[in-house]
Amino acid sequence: MKFVIKRDLLIESIQHVMKAISSRVTIPILSGIKIEANQDGIKLTGSDADISIESFIPREEDGIVNIEEIEAGSIVVQAKYFPDIIRKLPLKTVEINTDDQFQVNIISGGAEFHLNGQDAAEYPQLPVLHTDNSFELKNDLLKEVIRQTVFAVSTVETRPILTGVNMNLDNGQIKFVATDSHRLASRELPLTTNHDLSFKNIVIPGRSLAELSKIIDDNEENITISVTENQILFQTKHLYFLSRLLDGNYPETSRLIPDQSKTTVLTKTKELLQAIDRASLLAKENRNNVVKLETRANHQLVISSNTPEVGQVIEEVTTEEITGDELKISFSAKYMMDALKIIQEEYVTIKFTGAMRPFIIQPNENDQILQLILPVRTY
Amino acid sequence: MSKWYPKNGRVIFHLDMNSFYASVEAAYNPALKGKPLAIAGNPEERRGIIVTSSYEARKYGVRTTMPVWQARRLCPELIIIRPNFERYRHASKEMFKMMAEITPYVQPVSIDEGYMDISECQALGSPLEIAEALQSRIKSELDLPCSIGIAPNKFLAKMASDMKKPMGITVLRKRDLPEKLWPLPIEDMYGVGAKTAEKLRKLDICTIGDLVKTDTFQLKHTLGVNGERLQKRASGEDQSPVDPNAIYDFKSIGNSETLPEDTVDDSKITQLLRKLSRKVANRLERKEVVCQTIQLMIRYHNRKTITRSVTKAQYISEEADIFWVANDLFEQHWTGEPIRLLGVTAQGLVEKTAIAEQLDLFHYQDQVENEAIQGVIDQLTDKYGKNPFKSTKQKRDDIQPGTSFQKDFLDDFRNSNE
Repeated sequence: MKFVIKRDLLIESIQHVMKAISSRVTIPILSGIKIEANQDGIKLTGSDADISIESFIPREEDGIVNIEEIEAGSIVVQAKYFPDIIRKLPLKTVEINTDDQFQVNIISGGAEFHLNGQDAAEYPQLPVLHTDNSFELKNDLLKEVIRQTVFAVSTVETRPILTGVNMNLDNGQIKFVATDSHRLASRELPLTTNHDLSFKNIVIPGRSLAELSKIIDDNEENITISVTENQILFQTKHLYFLSRLLDGNYPETSRLIPDQSKTTVLTKTKELLQAIDRASLLAKENRNNVVKLETRANHQLVISSNTPEVGQVIEEVTTEEITGDELKISFSAKYMMDALKIIQEEYVTIKFTGAMRPFIIQPNENDQILQLILPVRTY
Repeated sequence: MSKWYPKNGRVIFHLDMNSFYASVEAAYNPALKGKPLAIAGNPEERRGIIVTSSYEARKYGVRTTMPVWQARRLCPELIIIRPNFERYRHASKEMFKMMAEITPYVQPVSIDEGYMDISECQALGSPLEIAEALQSRIKSELDLPCSIGIAPNKFLAKMASDMKKPMGITVLRKRDLPEKLWPLPIEDMYGVGAKTAEKLRKLDICTIGDLVKTDTFQLKHTLGVNGERLQKRASGEDQSPVDPNAIYDFKSIGNSETLPEDTVDDSKITQLLRKLSRKVANRLERKEVVCQTIQLMIRYHNRKTITRSVTKAQYISEEADIFWVANDLFEQHWTGEPIRLLGVTAQGLVEKTAIAEQLDLFHYQDQVENEAIQGVIDQLTDKYGKNPFKSTKQKRDDIQPGTSFQKDFLDDFRNSNE
């Protein structure tokens, strides 16, 4: 195998596949990056068995030549050294070639590395997905959906299924739900392609989505999503991202969302976020980072927190409107900030049904986003 | 007057009530005075052990933690009575009150002993005069004997109060150490238990004086930082302050009980676990704390003892929850061998007022069962400024705490100070 490649393209590709490579793998060869070269270009592969990523660099794109002197072949290089080597080379191009002893020679300017590689034939074959369950989303929309849901997945393994984002598709509507059982984030959107498709109980590991989001570009190009029983594939022109799905039944959450409210608050998103942020400065000391919210007359809200060892903070927020019963409720400042941060709209509606019940946060006049937070009970 | 007080030092008292429970009983019923008397948890059963005994009983060799049957054999005319904790609590409260009248720096250690820092009490007289006045006041008003140790720090005061009993007052100055402290066997040193003593003896350390002379590095090697601390204390150094609040930093609440006979009987074991869980739950409630960790102790017939614990994400305080967790631990870890003793301990305690319970999406309906009632209480609390309701508590006087409970009295002390 041999090729001469633009170094920045190679670095970007390496960064992509590195997202899938873990230092703790059960199959030793998975600690390496597989490099394959043919006349179309070169392909890099990284995998930790849960996530597998392939990144392709075409020989030529839009009339610009990326790779020269290609001689077909393949090798597995050690991920521990290869990325740093490429990053620190002196020239804008690098030549990589291998010999029949699986030695990898990396040459750029006067720098020459000889790295021990492994036979690519030893590298596990990525499964080929056979499915008609495919649909398309725009790159930027998928990134947005991930940003709006994945923060709410559980980070503890007590209920493994909750470490994933649940995806359901029905009637041309696709819905993503994530919850760690203390708060819930959901996002719905209409599908523009493949209306007949329907599936449910697809649970994508939160980590997979978080990594995917880092790799895909923020543009309006399409990404194809294909689903099988236990795997999901995200595919763009040059990227192939395969993830295992989580086993088990995702809990039914829709019936847990209150459908009526006793107190409704309409307020400016940013102002509320900043008030909560300030109140939480002192609340960080207490265990659950708890702040208290009280409704007052004249559409006033009072946000407060009291940590006896540190001090207390009280802030009045003038809202657009408060309707319904008076309310006093305590909740985690962190959950509230997480929820408000992903809302881009200027106004937000919060619907409460009592101090001990979940409350709903939604951007004003946007039903696609729904967030739920469980309050805390103070003694 | 000030010649009795060091310029750059402290004067610490350690006050130790002499055979406290027995003395209280004798004060309560003077007919018992001068007779061999012992307090035991359960005089009838084999698991009953001597909690404390009068000096008359001690002459026969009756000792604390001795089984009742053994004590009876040593002293056939021994009078054994069940503990009356309310009486002891009351006496203890009175005694601490008298101490607190001398100085606010009183640190209770248990129901019948405590430290006082009287460094700034020159106005009340010399340390010896203060000690004599306190001792005679406790004797005349409560009819109880005590011993007081006077020293420049807590450790020496503690050692001093032990030197003369009953009704002793002992001054232990640093210059007295070679003569009074260092000849004592190492086992007599406060802070040296059976295990530590055994280790020290292996290093040929038989007296407190030997400990002072031993190489610090070697001690550290054998006993860790504790070795160094013990050595410092033995040579008369102890900087620890008399901290009135130290006692409230309790870390765990636990109960254990020996079964009437070694058993593998599930129903008996479950019954005991339930009982222990109830006791722990009651004590948690009394202290208004909740816990996150439950520890189970199993002692088998051959005295082999294991402890296993589990930490939960949620705070627990209810009997049913504690039992559920303890039982779970039991089922996981019981080897099936006959069991002699079981213990349940709540750890990771947090005061109820300091915590907030995060409700759970899948369980909040169960968590908020009393929501309506709570709402009314909140409204009335707002209206009247304070909660007009009091949660009814089971009357606890009928619950006889076991020997491990002796620190609970401190809640009385704390409340009386508020």
